[in-house]
Amino acid sequence: MGLQEQYRSEAAGLLSSGAVKLVIGYSAGSTPDRRRPVFVRTPEEAERLVLDGACVANLSTYLVTEGLLSDGKSVALFLKPDGVRSVNILAAEAQVNPEQVVIFGFEIENGQVKPLEGRKASDFTPVIEAAKTAGLSPELQKESERLDQMSASERFEFWKEQFAKCIKCYACRQVCPMCYCRRCIVDVNQPQWVNTSSHTLGNFEWNIVRAFHLAGRCVACGGCDRSCPVNIPLRLINHRMAKEVLDAFDYYAGESTDQKPVLATFRQDDPETFIL
Amino acid sequence: MTRILLKNRLDDCIVAWRSAGFSVLAPVKRSDLSRFDEVESSAEMALDLVLTERTIKDHFFPQTEPLIKYRIKKHEIDSQEMLPPDGKRVFFGVRPCDASGLAIDDPLFGWDYKDEYWFKRRDNAVIVTIACTASDDFCMCTSVKLAPDSAKGSDVLLRPLQGGNGWQVEALSDRGNALLEPISSILQDSTDAPAPTVSVPVRFDVDKVMEWLADPASFESHFWKEISLRCIGCGSCTFLCPTCHCFDIQDEGDTYTGIRRKNWDSCSFAMFTMHTSGHNPRNTQSTRWRQRIMHKFNYYRGKFGVNSCSGCGRCTRQCPVDMGITETLQAITNLPK
Amino acid sequence: MSVQFEPKIVAFVCTYCTYAGADLAGTSRMKYASNVRMVRLPCTGRISPMFILKALQKGADGVLVSGCHPGDCHFAQGNYHARRRWTVFRALLAFTGIPEQRIRFSWISAAEGAKFAELINSLTEDIRKLGPFEQYQELQKVIETQSTY
Repeated sequence: MGLQEQYRSEAAGLLSSGAVKLVIGYSAGSTPDRRRPVFVRTPEEAERLVLDGACVANLSTYLVTEGLLSDGKSVALFLKPDGVRSVNILAAEAQVNPEQVVIFGFEIENGQVKPLEGRKASDFTPVIEAAKTAGLSPELQKESERLDQMSASERFEFWKEQFAKCIKCYACRQVCPMCYCRRCIVDVNQPQWVNTSSHTLGNFEWNIVRAFHLAGRCVACGGCDRSCPVNIPLRLINHRMAKEVLDAFDYYAGESTDQKPVLATFRQDDPETFIL
Repeated sequence: MTRILLKNRLDDCIVAWRSAGFSVLAPVKRSDLSRFDEVESSAEMALDLVLTERTIKDHFFPQTEPLIKYRIKKHEIDSQEMLPPDGKRVFFGVRPCDASGLAIDDPLFGWDYKDEYWFKRRDNAVIVTIACTASDDFCMCTSVKLAPDSAKGSDVLLRPLQGGNGWQVEALSDRGNALLEPISSILQDSTDAPAPTVSVPVRFDVDKVMEWLADPASFESHFWKEISLRCIGCGSCTFLCPTCHCFDIQDEGDTYTGIRRKNWDSCSFAMFTMHTSGHNPRNTQSTRWRQRIMHKFNYYRGKFGVNSCSGCGRCTRQCPVDMGITETLQAITNLPK
Repeated sequence: MSVQFEPKIVAFVCTYCTYAGADLAGTSRMKYASNVRMVRLPCTGRISPMFILKALQKGADGVLVSGCHPGDCHFAQGNYHARRRWTVFRALLAFTGIPEQRIRFSWISAAEGAKFAELINSLTEDIRKLGPFEQYQELQKVIETQSTY
């Protein structure tokens, strides 16, 4: 039995026994290569669930939908390790009760899905530890290095060109599990910290602010990058921030449900190489 | 006998139009994004795309636009209107769906007052469309009763020739005729046949959709919640839509000086209908999704006699969660009677 | 004779150390460049990166953020949190190409009036050599002209 069939039948089982009220997974999309999020509520509907190498989106973003978990019931989700890390972070930031989250874990290797053992976020600790040791993505590392080797003004020109495209659609924010603020800083107008207009300066500010608010919280799921309708390489910025907190503070976001946020904690011997 | 323009004479056209005072905008791919931008030669054009990722709406209703510059002085306020630039523009290589978007929005921008910003740009622009010989899985012009060679919103229609070496040229308006004057010696008479336009399958029954939307019972239907569960509430579909036109007015500046701007806004945003009291009449994604569909296929039609949709399919093409209006309208089409 | 460029420098400082240090510089009649505009906060822990962005948005050519030495914070821990924030924000600004030399961080205690004066003087000269932050201000100018579309 393939993993897809196995998980379908387990999902149907959880729904009929009442163990979960909802299963959030993937279904076929509007074209053969697309997959879309699906919300399954009955055992019969579990047939719609699809699991294959095209299922890349991080579905944990739906966990912070207003009111979803307020009835105390459980929800099951199909998640890759990055999604499990998101659940850990949401739990650590008191947004989600991890006891209400049942996880159908999977990994994609060479375009094929592989199962991951476990049903609760805490079951996936070894996988997450392994990912931390393996280090951040080598492809992204190379792309980042290309930027690092440019001069500051070359980098500024690069990002100016990219951010000039931004239309402030906030797809990056809406798709991100970590962006759950009821009122985002751009929507605050007393005072207006970041211009809402999408001129290049406003776009620069928005993207800098979002990258900063994600530092130490981003799990590099790639959602923002994929969802950007104007193809801005957001993965580069968020990956760079993840690298910074790893290098400076040995911090890897989403290791456990009670890991303290990196910018809410400190060590007395934190590095300081640049302070006069 | 019809007139044709050969591809290898396109550069001469550009020169002629520029000498006549037009800047020429065409589809380009720059910085990993396809959109309309100024070109000086045909080599810069990306005419093989099914359609550009961004629309020509950007050039008539920009994503951010200064309206007034103001300075608050001791006893008075100095203000200076910042109208769009005067330049005449040719938009070459527009898809019929994008052109129809402009025509669909004209009645709105001229409705209760004449929006000078829109019309100044509209009056200074000539739209040259190229009929489509290719489409993709997301195109749905035929579903909204338009076509790959629709004339709506276009001043000059080009039909690609069978041989692929040029286009059959047809002026559709006075403005179109005037545009062909500077290049009349470049155009040739020919009996070359145009290639057939692509056949775009009809994906939903728009008449049935409109009937269902007009039924008061449909407003409170559970359908809306079910169909919009995965919508994340970003502005991609609205911002990339050739017909969406909602905006927000923002003052940007300091205590005493600033610029009042018109910025794109989206009905998908959670705060779109937020009142200063804190009450939000559309505070769930399903009510916002319902509004989007109702607006496009019911309210707008009621006011202006036309649906606010050009069938370009960008909403689905670009949606981060593979939504867009096609699926919703197909679901309505398939609802049991 | 050309007019010398006078950089605009905004300094976000904590009340109990750097501001007091600046005050000491003043009462000791130490001369330092008048290019700096001081913004006093209770503690560096209160300083949000938004402040730095706002200063740049409003035309600052250079920004200084300064507070108590680690271990000496009036509120015990504020500057430890600030230090982590600065490490991350600085990396972010550098990555997007905003020159690192324009945004500086320091620990200056209430007794270090001389250090404050020297730092302001050297920072002003450094920024003067770098010139106005044209790249950012150019973005502002585009806003003010007609929309490009």
